[in-house]
Amino acid sequence: MSKELTYSQVNRDVMRPLFSPSMAWHALMALVTVGLAYGAFCWGIQLIWGLGVAGYHPPVFWGVYITTFVFWVGIGHAGTLISAILFLTRSRWRTGIYRAAEAMTIFAVMTAALFPAIHVGRAWQAYWLFPYPNQRQLWQNFKSPLMWDVFAVSTYFTVSTVFFFIGLVPDIAAVRDNTKGFVKKMYNVMALGWRGTDRQWRHYMAAYGFFAALATPLVLSVHSVVSWDFAMADTPGWHSTLFPPYFVAGAIFSGCSMVITLMLPLTKLFKLEAYIHTWHFEHLAKLCMFTGGILTYAYGTEYFIAWYSDNQYEWGTFTDRVFGKYWWVFAMMVACNCTIPLLWWFKKVRTSFVGLFAISIVVNIGMWFERYNIIASSLAHSFDPGAWVYYTPTYIEIGILIFSFAWFFLWFLLFVKIMPSVAIAEVKETLRPPLKHDEEAAAK
Amino acid sequence: MSSHAAPAAGTQLKAVYKHLDSLLQGIHDLHEAGVRDFTVLSPIPRHEIEEMLYKGEPSPVRWFTLFGGLLGGTMIFSLASLTHANWPMIIPGGKPLVSIPPFLVVTFEGTILWASLMTLIGLLVMCGLPFTDPPAAMEDPRFTNDCFGIVFTRVPKNAEKIVHILEHSGAFEVTGGGAHG
Repeated sequence: MSKELTYSQVNRDVMRPLFSPSMAWHALMALVTVGLAYGAFCWGIQLIWGLGVAGYHPPVFWGVYITTFVFWVGIGHAGTLISAILFLTRSRWRTGIYRAAEAMTIFAVMTAALFPAIHVGRAWQAYWLFPYPNQRQLWQNFKSPLMWDVFAVSTYFTVSTVFFFIGLVPDIAAVRDNTKGFVKKMYNVMALGWRGTDRQWRHYMAAYGFFAALATPLVLSVHSVVSWDFAMADTPGWHSTLFPPYFVAGAIFSGCSMVITLMLPLTKLFKLEAYIHTWHFEHLAKLCMFTGGILTYAYGTEYFIAWYSDNQYEWGTFTDRVFGKYWWVFAMMVACNCTIPLLWWFKKVRTSFVGLFAISIVVNIGMWFERYNIIASSLAHSFDPGAWVYYTPTYIEIGILIFSFAWFFLWFLLFVKIMPSVAIAEVKETLRPPLKHDEEAAAK
Repeated sequence: MSSHAAPAAGTQLKAVYKHLDSLLQGIHDLHEAGVRDFTVLSPIPRHEIEEMLYKGEPSPVRWFTLFGGLLGGTMIFSLASLTHANWPMIIPGGKPLVSIPPFLVVTFEGTILWASLMTLIGLLVMCGLPFTDPPAAMEDPRFTNDCFGIVFTRVPKNAEKIVHILEHSGAFEVTGGGAHG
């Protein structure tokens, strides 16, 4: 962070983009509206006609919806990782980017949360997932990984939202003090009347540390639990103890790539270069290189274990992924997640706008295909050769996939217009405080 | 530095500082004079301020966190166990009704969830949030921007001496008056 920055300049710079949407912002919102309208049309058709409009083909009843659910939960990893784990390890590079990354987490999990409701078809009965006694005194099965998933994702969402909101409170107060009238009142409500008293800061810092400590194991647990949705089943291609670390590494890989995808244009658009440098993006790229390496190793291990286990069903599924009808999905996964990101090993690539932005999008595409590869190809090529099928999504599923992206970007675009996308108070903490001693020394 | 007549006892007093070291000097001088009933306002958390005012005493928020974690873990483990015991199906393979490994997953989630929620409650309670009716002296936009402040919501009888300490420590603005909000 530049040492020439002053506290008041931080306030001015970070608040400048608020309340005055640019043409680019309006254009993106228009695009998002089109995506939402098309997706809502597709979902509407599914609600009216039922799940038959999806491309499900027995025994494949998990397809694009579960793939997209896992994809968005994975994206939701990076925000809390950056804000909680890097806070506890006192990594300085988190400061400029963590606010937008946290917002990304919340909106990604909000997007993922749509998919259980979409996937069950009768969305109005999705509340059956939650534990409550029904009229027949039947309860959910707490031994089921699907039940664990409900707890894991809802806990992750709640804790991440609380952590995000608490982090915002002092900055909302700063925005409040730059507004007037009704808007000021609204920000004051959102800031809970924060004034920055010694008593408030004392308890705030203690609580923030606890939130970070509590969120850290959640980051690692939530995708482990999601992976058990698959690994606890005996389906070939899923039944593996490798899944939790493999899924967590993949989630961090995709989440950090999405942070790069979002933050690079945001930094340029809002002129935040004084706060978010190439240095920040390079660290994110390095984190992607590390987790991408783990992921590539996990892909290799999967194949080794499938071969070494001497289980014909397991090995059959894995060879079918490479040489069967889903070969193109496998090829996309390996190209986008293992091969192309290797370009980031060149400093020139990982410090250039185009190199960072393009590869981060490639990784996002690759990580969606990875989940599709795990889910669709395993179910389509299970134990019974008579039940082997080729599942392909319909335009309804593709429409709902587009809807998920539009939904996510809707929230993100609204967020950057009404909330400071860089943490004002924390950026100030990284600056040298204004000291009389310094002024006197400079005057001499 | 602006100099003002000392405000009447019981009214508010606000000192605004541009520099952190001046603020710390002000806190130190007030403590030296035996004055402790004041509030420090700052746009950022500073350990120096907390150390001077609270002498490293940890925040009680931690007890809320501990209580929430214990409560949440116990509640969710009990919920899982009691609901399974309430419908005692004979599971093939002779697995126990109350089985610790699968229940640990939801117990862990419950522990984290309730520890976080109780931390939030602890934070709100201990900070006095929502702070709906702050004293007028605290409603200064400079305290969330680039200035530090010392605020007395009720000036003690030795107001003149306090004003002198604040001005002498480097406050560039000392204003008083107005009843406690």
